[in-house]
Amino acid sequence: MANKGWDEFEIGAMLRTFEGEAGNIAGTLQEDRKYTENSSFSASVADWRLEKPIFAKDYCIDCQFCWIYCPDMSIIARDKKMIGIDMDHCKGCAICVEVCPTNPKSLLMFPEQADEETELARWPEKESKEK
Amino acid sequence: MAFDKMELRDIEVWDGNFAAAQALRQCQIDVVAAYPITPSTPIVEGYAKFLADNYVEGEFVMVESEHAAMSGCIGAAAAGGRVATATSSQGFALMVETLYQASGMRLPIVLNVVNRALAAPLNVNGDHSDMYLGRDSGWIQFDAYSPQGAYDLNFIAFRVAEDHDVRLPAMVHQDGFMTSHTAQGVHTLTDDVAYSFVGDFKPMNDMLDFEHPVTHGVQTEEDWHFEHKARQHNDMMTKVMPKIQAAFDDFEKLTGRKYNIVERYDMDDADVAVVCMGTSVETAREVATEMREKGIKAGVVGIRVVRPFPFFEIAEALKGVKAIAALDRSAPGGAPGMLFNELAGCLFNQAERPLLSGYVYGLGGRDLTKKHLVDLYTELQKNVDAGKVTTQLQQFIGVRGPKLAFL
Amino acid sequence: MSEMKKIKNLKEFSTSADRFEGANLLCPGCAHSIIVREVLNATNDDLVLSASTGCLEVCTAVYPYTSWDASWIHIGFENGSTAVAGAEAMYNALKNKGRLKQPDRNPKFISFAGDGASYDIGFQWISGCMERGHNMMHVVLDNEVYANTGGQRSSSTPIGSSATTSPAGRVSYGEKKNKKDMVAIMASHGIPYSAQVAPNKWKDMVKKIQYGMQVEGPVFINAVSPCTTEWKFDPKDTMMLTDLSTDSLVFPLYEIIDGHELNITYRPKNVVPVEEYLAAQGRFKHLFKDQYKHMIKEWQDRVDANWDYLNRREEARV
Repeated sequence: MANKGWDEFEIGAMLRTFEGEAGNIAGTLQEDRKYTENSSFSASVADWRLEKPIFAKDYCIDCQFCWIYCPDMSIIARDKKMIGIDMDHCKGCAICVEVCPTNPKSLLMFPEQADEETELARWPEKESKEK
Repeated sequence: MAFDKMELRDIEVWDGNFAAAQALRQCQIDVVAAYPITPSTPIVEGYAKFLADNYVEGEFVMVESEHAAMSGCIGAAAAGGRVATATSSQGFALMVETLYQASGMRLPIVLNVVNRALAAPLNVNGDHSDMYLGRDSGWIQFDAYSPQGAYDLNFIAFRVAEDHDVRLPAMVHQDGFMTSHTAQGVHTLTDDVAYSFVGDFKPMNDMLDFEHPVTHGVQTEEDWHFEHKARQHNDMMTKVMPKIQAAFDDFEKLTGRKYNIVERYDMDDADVAVVCMGTSVETAREVATEMREKGIKAGVVGIRVVRPFPFFEIAEALKGVKAIAALDRSAPGGAPGMLFNELAGCLFNQAERPLLSGYVYGLGGRDLTKKHLVDLYTELQKNVDAGKVTTQLQQFIGVRGPKLAFL
Repeated sequence: MSEMKKIKNLKEFSTSADRFEGANLLCPGCAHSIIVREVLNATNDDLVLSASTGCLEVCTAVYPYTSWDASWIHIGFENGSTAVAGAEAMYNALKNKGRLKQPDRNPKFISFAGDGASYDIGFQWISGCMERGHNMMHVVLDNEVYANTGGQRSSSTPIGSSATTSPAGRVSYGEKKNKKDMVAIMASHGIPYSAQVAPNKWKDMVKKIQYGMQVEGPVFINAVSPCTTEWKFDPKDTMMLTDLSTDSLVFPLYEIIDGHELNITYRPKNVVPVEEYLAAQGRFKHLFKDQYKHMIKEWQDRVDANWDYLNRREEARV
């Protein structure tokens, strides 16, 4: 797409999201859709992050707060379960961590270079409530 | 068909506004989004009455301003159907930003512009200031000199604008009051013949095709904008004139009425010529014939296609002419008139450069009389005899007060 | 009319396949995106969308990328609403003429615009759409400033807020005017539905959006969109700010049906003092100086009066 000449694209700067027929998009999961290179789905903003979320599945209750309040469609929910994070699209805003209701939280922020296995192994303990 | 056809006489007595409204009826527009403004109002009123009497289907959206009218037209055109509207002057000025948006988004829309002066001071009468305001908007622009032209050119406009190789919006201009409110005999087409000339609307990049969702109206910055505007200009400069010529040819075969990109009158051996637009063309033709009887070889060039500017066609039409007058019907704002400048552009590099002078006339509906043109042609002949322009390059004609001339 | 998608709870809602894509240019933590997701996920029907010039438009449609999975148009600043109205008119025309490519599908027509585009420059255009009765919904993403261009005041900017064209300073506490009540103004057009929503109360929002999608005629939705960049708070706190906005009653959640029946749709269990809401945002921090402290009580009084007004209207069934 980069550096195409004036004669190499659709008139009117029109963009198409999908290859061919879209079908029932609302009923098609992202991984099954045929995105063009013009859909921002095909791009990545991973380099925006200074911190990244790590997901500790063991504590998750699948409440889906993280799913609904993620601005970047980066919480992947399948069959009513939270199954992971889309690291291509996550901007590291940390809203998911803030809204996670479990104790300890099922999502926490770490420096971008942190190793997932290491952090999961030393996940913080449950916080005791002060009376 | 869920609407009624109309039986028209071979010749109907219509003014320019009603002729345009009838053309829109026969084209069976899908969405008209419009706002009333003098002197174009009767076009939308005529259309509204057709709708109320079941002569058209389609939606008629009476919006709350001209900017909203063109915005609604753009939304409807992007959705995917035949779209048209009409306006003048202040309304045209109000919708100017949307004109650029429509052409940039390559959407076919037909706009009837009933040319009227721009305020201030406020004026409802005919001159070309609104036309001149929109010259860079990227629209295809036709000029009608009479109700017949206002009728015929709408069909041409839809044909050309909606062509998938073109996809650019088109204007049909006519002089406010002088054409729009003056009734003349108009040769008509039957509903079936008119519609089949224009044909069914063929959608392209339509938002209502849910199988192919489309994004219209993106942002482009310094890394993409130039390429997109270059593409738009390229298509305007290379694709449009051939399509217009083909449409004119087909229209002539159908009706016997021949339109030309540049309308030449008695130009074959003309020494002096007037270049103008609108109703002045027909007045100038009458005077040119009279000048011939006085021994002055006079001709008239009428601009039929204002945009794309017929650069080579005008130069060709003016070949051999020794003195040319560019007539501009718009307040020039501190410069020579648009027609003067554009003619100068296409004549400048000619091996034999003719004499070129400019006249500003008819502002705010002031009449251009035959006497004005007789004096004008006489001046042009004086220029030819002297071998140079004997007057100043810009003269105002028909204005009260001391003689006004510049440059 | 098509069946509205049934959403019993959040787990069920989470099975939605978003029709809005990431890797757009919105700030991390932007509430616009959360609102757009809740609106688009409220239905499985086809969509014809528009956005007016502003953060949403500028961040989701910069060539060569689009973040939209449905047909979408941007024309300009004032006229996003009219763009959708024109598309809706074309839909009706083609439907009557039998030229729809997919005649069995029932698209929803939705225009998104910021407060600047809706309350100010696009006011007339929205008013026209509401008055003409198009079957469409206009959603205001209300972050109370012209955020996309750096935070200039709009007629949605609340009193005492520091915006770049109404900045707080040595002799000024910032914006001098009270916020315009667009929900009421639009309801006065007699439209079937006008409502205020907030993305934290997702169930309330989705219920209202679905009602708006089902009702015949124009719908106006004002959605509070706390802006991490212009309201000046940490991106992670977007939902916390939204909670403060609804629970302090600064942004009460209510609906007006047919222009003359007001229902309050959310009553906080614990009403939070307005001061807490103001204290959480950098754009109000100057109000905590001695010189301007009186504004905080003024704020509380005004919010209380407005809440009382809404309650009286609800009680009187007007």
